[in-house]
Amino acid sequence: MYGERRKRSVFEIVREYMERLDAWADELLESPEHPSWDVQSCCLEPLCDISVTADEVVVTADLPYAQPETIVVEAVEDNLIEISAKIKRKVRFGDFGITHRKGEFSSFRSRARIPMPVETDRMKIHFKRGILEVHLSRKKGHRVKIE
Amino acid sequence: MSEAVRIVEKKRIPSGAIMLQGLPDVGLVGLIATSYIISELNLDEIAYVDSDLLPPIVVLHKGLPHAPLRIYGNKDLIAAISEIAVPVKALHRIMRKLVDWAESKNVTMILSMGGLPVQNRQDIKEPKVFGAGSSEASLKLLREKGLEILNEGFIVGPQALTMRYCVERKLTAVALLAQSFFNYPDPEASAVAIKKFAQITDKKVDVSDLLEKGEEIRLRARDIMRRTQSELNQMKKSQEYDLPLYV
Repeated sequence: MYGERRKRSVFEIVREYMERLDAWADELLESPEHPSWDVQSCCLEPLCDISVTADEVVVTADLPYAQPETIVVEAVEDNLIEISAKIKRKVRFGDFGITHRKGEFSSFRSRARIPMPVETDRMKIHFKRGILEVHLSRKKGHRVKIE
Repeated sequence: MSEAVRIVEKKRIPSGAIMLQGLPDVGLVGLIATSYIISELNLDEIAYVDSDLLPPIVVLHKGLPHAPLRIYGNKDLIAAISEIAVPVKALHRIMRKLVDWAESKNVTMILSMGGLPVQNRQDIKEPKVFGAGSSEASLKLLREKGLEILNEGFIVGPQALTMRYCVERKLTAVALLAQSFFNYPDPEASAVAIKKFAQITDKKVDVSDLLEKGEEIRLRARDIMRRTQSELNQMKKSQEYDLPLYV
């Protein structure tokens, strides 16, 4: 056993250690798994994305079958917005061929955490081709003139 | 020691066919397109990929278990799809195995459809399809079919590996890249890619049903898109936006 251990080079040991560290970091970084639906609230979670430019943060959400007039975007906190919309027709597990679960869904709902300070009271919202776009202006910092 | 990746053949595999690859990637363009072609052309399940590198999953269809990474075919077309996001750590060996297997079956061309992410996708009614090829001959074929060639830039993911391994093996590989959403399933992009596939292979595939079911597909594809996003992030897919430096 001891002999076997001595055969491993220091590089191998470091590589194995780094691999273990990587795996551990992956586990830590992975967000907790949860289903994309909630039977209690009859909601489906839409796909969302956040991108940041120099002037604004853009949150998008894919809302197929959404009724445009029911879309609501609400600032829940300074850096948290909630998107919700009613779906044109109720969706059931059976529509996906699933018979071992029961439940129907009538709306989309999700929350997006904004990664930096934004002006939530001045949101601009567009809905085109089933994609919702929420534009949030980034808070301006102080300007310092070059002396 | 057992092979890391093996392909289990269930039926006779045709020789000299064209191979389609539709693994989950940007906008799920290739997966949606290839699945639709399998269904429209009534291809049979002829083989599947077995690997300890894949998560321990079976997919149930009509009560029966199936491998998530399967190969369909008829006498002149073979199509590989995956119903799960392929883990980045398994991707190299799986793509190499698929190319090796294709070579052993005398595949004449490996054609993969995929997405080319564009920021203003909402504003584009009919996405444009670009082509990439493994050789001068394949680029000539793409030009003859009216495709604009992807001249400079990066391709990241399954299509990149297929391209690389095909160059190694001197096999013909063609990638059809339709302008698409990055993180959202894009059946419209799949439809335009299928039209180009039909042009190149002289197959008839009517995409009207795919376009009609677009919203339904987007709704159903949310979970696999979410898992694919995570793999795309790990493989640094966003590098496709980078400008290459070649002085």
